[in-house]
Order: sequence, then structure tokens, then C-alpha cells
Amino acid sequence: MLEKALIKENNKKFWNWILFLLVLSAVGFGSYLWQLNQGLTVTGMSRDVSWGLYIGQFTFFVGVAASAVMLVLPYYLHNVKEFGRITVIGEFLAVASVLMCMMFIIVDMGMPMRVVNMFLYPTPNSPMFWDAMVLTGYLLLNIFIGWNVLEAESKGVHPPKWVKVLIYISIPWAVSIHTVTAFLYAGLPGRHYWLTALIAPKFLASAFATGPALLILICFILKKFANFDAGKKAIQKLALIVTYSMSITIFMVVVEFFTAFFSQVPAHMHALQYLFAGVHGHNGFVPFMWVFVILSVLALVLLIPRKTRENDKTLIIACAAVFFSMMIEKGLSFVIGGLAVTPFGRITEYTPRLPEILIIIGIWAIGTLIASLFYKVVVSVKRETDVTSKNFKSQETLEHS
Amino acid sequence: MEKITRREIFKGLFPRVEVALAGGEETRQPRWTMVIDLAKCIGCDTCTVSCKAENRTPPGVTYNVVLTEEKGNLPNVMVINTPRPCMQCDRPPCAQVCPVRATYKMANGITAIDYDRCIGCRYCITACPYGARSFDFGDSYEAEMLGYEAIQAPEYGVQRGKRQGQKAPKGTTRKCHFCFHRLQRGEEPACVETCLGDARYFGDLNDPGSVVSKLAKSPRAFHLKEEMGTHPRVIYLK
Repeated sequence: MLEKALIKENNKKFWNWILFLLVLSAVGFGSYLWQLNQGLTVTGMSRDVSWGLYIGQFTFFVGVAASAVMLVLPYYLHNVKEFGRITVIGEFLAVASVLMCMMFIIVDMGMPMRVVNMFLYPTPNSPMFWDAMVLTGYLLLNIFIGWNVLEAESKGVHPPKWVKVLIYISIPWAVSIHTVTAFLYAGLPGRHYWLTALIAPKFLASAFATGPALLILICFILKKFANFDAGKKAIQKLALIVTYSMSITIFMVVVEFFTAFFSQVPAHMHALQYLFAGVHGHNGFVPFMWVFVILSVLALVLLIPRKTRENDKTLIIACAAVFFSMMIEKGLSFVIGGLAVTPFGRITEYTPRLPEILIIIGIWAIGTLIASLFYKVVVSVKRETDVTSKNFKSQETLEHS
Repeated sequence: MEKITRREIFKGLFPRVEVALAGGEETRQPRWTMVIDLAKCIGCDTCTVSCKAENRTPPGVTYNVVLTEEKGNLPNVMVINTPRPCMQCDRPPCAQVCPVRATYKMANGITAIDYDRCIGCRYCITACPYGARSFDFGDSYEAEMLGYEAIQAPEYGVQRGKRQGQKAPKGTTRKCHFCFHRLQRGEEPACVETCLGDARYFGDLNDPGSVVSKLAKSPRAFHLKEEMGTHPRVIYLK
């Protein structure tokens, strides 16, 4: 099925897109070589803000990866037939995101050539060790599942039984990757912004809003450019998932404010004050946070009423708003805001530098490239099965008449 | 230079340190402790400077800082200076989170970093509630200081050669180690030796007769952020 999708079906537009992504990845890779040569000093990170955009993006994309479960779980456990066409799209989105997560970790490391130490000296007391384990496992699970399901479909048979077992394993596994990622932050003394048990549930809720929102956008893109229709019903089911998850996420963001400002404990208020209002003239995050507020309100206003949720145009706007608001909340302010307030209550600001941004663009390009290649295969397989089932149906009707 | 493994270093190290400072009893492990008398600290930053000189730390890496906090309103303003080395916690959050066990407690109470194992993920920096750890971003003072790169401090007793060399701890996390290489030679940490106000004391908490043991029992004694449950090994006197 690979050679058919990638070689025989000639599509100039698609290969131009791939070429464009390759150029971007090359730029990112070049910047990474520069960073390897000069050290992490080319980034905007400092002694106090020792994790920057890389780890923020990593956290965000773990969420996108975990969200595949929002298709797999309804389809395989609750028999939601509408998702049958797009489950595999969710799984390949997970594969691309996990690969991006791994790249974000590698580029963030000061000694990337020692990455095998993670496996040479396994350390069960470190959440980061567990994160590496569950992410690797999740990647393998999704590659196996996605590929086998797709291959079975292209041959017109049911996937082998052992794939079903892997699918059931992958459901709690998806929850685990984001929970463990939350535990990276949630157990650190002296980081008050992170020292709350709400992080894991908030991460999961926001992941289940962001991922499906991205999937809806991908479905619309595939419909426009690849002639692949996911089906109105499937998209509406996803939109409902986005609506509930987004509402729960925003609820969890708001309750943090109550705890901080009703208790009036300075350390608890500090990060929120810094992020949303600025402290002692440090207000680099304030515009971003208000964009986050506006986008998330806009998303909820468009998602909750049935009329706008069922309209394709407003749904696209709402999904983009969900994606970018969560990108700010989780990919930007969560990690950097938590670190910008130092353990002794001082503020250190962080501004990303050009090499950092180019590397991030490069990783995005590689992720999009992987996803595009997968989707090309998916779309060609689906088109073929669509044609055969249509032929089959028309034959049936002929025979009946 | 011939290669020495970490195991060999520590096997060779401990007896010498004991002989040098514990006063004869070779079997006993010292529990290195630092006492800082805040009433005697004048906030001159000599400890910070001498630490940088002793450990030849690059820009952005400071093992010891003096935190200042202003209290009160004009004209009644008071500045409180708090020198902050690594607390060498007995329950170190940094060692708990390290994914490769590159940071660990040594038997003598010092929290060590294995520069040759650290992967530079900086998780320990985020975990430290005292901000005591810095990341070596690879910067250099060579432009301002001639010969800065010629040699590096023999931290943990390991000769690390030139700053440009393979054994430089660039891209790894670094922190105060109570000047372990000086302890080996029977000397006090640089900050203790150079303190102008004699505000710092250093010694073995296992020795009931030592100055630090006596000061540890003082009603003025407290730890930084005791509520974190980290059990720091640096004791402050109010």
C-alpha cells in the first residue's frame, strides 16, 4: 500500500507541500547543528528559567498524542461507528506527535549524545525516566496498531486479533503518558504554580480538547485538498468532545484562581499575578495570557450553542481558537510561568532567541511531514475501499432489482 | 592523562578525607555541615567571588550567592543578607528526580553530581527549592580574563583539564559541593576560609565536640525552607 500511495499516485501539489516541509526541517536541523556546536547558550534559557519553549512544546504535544484515545475509546469500547473512518487518522497523529515530543526532549538536552544513559541507568524514582518509558511504549503501540489496521483495511480483511489486545492496552496507556508528564511538574517542592494535584486532570482535559480540535481541522483540510470526507456525523461527535473537554479545562483554570486569591498565600498568587497582570514591571506574558482568555472565551461561545457548533465555518474558527489558546496555556505559560517565578520569589523573564524558534519550526515541519506521509497512505487506502464498497453496493442493488 | 573511574576516585578518597579532618579515627564517616551566622554576615559577596575563583565557574554558573531582602519602609529599612550555597539536603529533591542517577548523596553528606553521566536535562534545577543549581551553558570568561580556559577546577578530585577539552562539564548541571577537592586536602571550603565577618563555620556534625555541632544546638539555629522537608545540611543562625 506504501508504493501505491506514495509512488503510483502522482500528485504534484502534495509533493510540493512535502518539499516545502523538507526545506523547513533543513533550516531547523541547521539551527540545531549550530546549537550543538555553541551549546544551549544560543537559546534564551538562563539559570532561573532553565526550561523554555522546548519543554513547553513537548508538554503540549504529549497532550496531542494522548488525545488519539478520544477516537479509539468511543470506537472500540462504545461502538461509535462514525469514528471508524478516522480512528486511524488519530493514531497516526499520535505517532507524529510522540516523535515530535522526543525531538523536543533531545534538542533540550545539554548532552544529547548521552541520551542512552536513560536506559543504561534506569531510575524508577524519577518521573522523567517513566515519561521516557511510557512515551516510547505509546509510540510503538500506535505504530503497530495504526499500520496493522490500515493494512487489513487495504486488503479488505479484519485486523488480526492481537491488534485488538494492543488497542485495549493503548487506551489506559494514552492516559498514562499525560499523567506522567503532569507528574514531571506536580511533585516539585518550591514551584508553587505547579504544586497542585489538579495538573494531571487539567492536562488530560485540555489534551482532549486540543487533540480533537486539531483532528477536526485536519479532517477539513483532508476534505478540501485530498478529497477525503470524514463524515459530518464523526466531526460533530468530535466537536461535542471538544466542547465538553474545553469547558472542563477552563473550569480547572479558573478554580486555581480561587485557591490562590482567596487564601491570599503570596507564593500561590505570585505566578498567576505575574502571568495575567505583571509583577514589578515584569509583564512579558500579560498580552499572551489575555489572548488566551479571549480565544478560550471565543471558543466556548462558538462551541456551546448548537447552531454555531453545527456550522462548519464557525466550528473551524472555534477549533483553531481551542488549539491556539491551549498552545499558549500549556505550551508557553505553564512551563515558563512556573519557572519565571524563582524559588525565592523573584522574577526572571525569558525571551526565546532565533535559533530556538527555528529549531521549533523545524520540529513542527518534521512532525507535519510524518503526518502528511501517513495521511497520504490513509487517504489512498480509504479511497480504494470506498470504491470497492460502492461497487459492491451497486452490484447488490442491481441484483435485488 | 590516565583514565580514573569514579569508583576508584571515591575508594581512594574517603580514607584520606577522614584522616585529614576527623582527627585520627579512620573508620568514622564525617557528616560535613556548614553553619552560617546571619548576624555576622555583612553582605560583602566575598564568598560568591572566592567561590567563583576557586571553582573557576563560567558565566551564569554560581555555586554560592548572597540573597538580599529589603524589609520595612523608609526611613526604617533593613536589608537581610542570606548567603546561599547548596544546602546538601539529606532528602534532596534533585537526586530524587534525576533520570540517570547522576546526582546522589555521598556517605559524607555531600550531594554530588557525576559530570560524566549527567545528560543535561535540567530537571534537577527545576526541582531544587533553593535555586542552588545552575546549568553550564558553555559560556566562557576568556574574552575578559586571560587564561580562563587553560585549566578547570578539580571538582570532586577529578582533573578536568582545559575548558575546551572533552572532560569539561559543559552542557551539564553544576552546583556547590562544599569544595570537596579542598576537603580532600584538609582545607575548608573557599567561602568559609575567605568570609570577612567570620560568619561561616564548617565541620563534622558526627563529632560532638566540633564547633558546628555546638552551634547546631543553638536556639538561633534554623534551616532555609524547613517546611519543604528537605532536611538541609546548612544551618543558619538568626
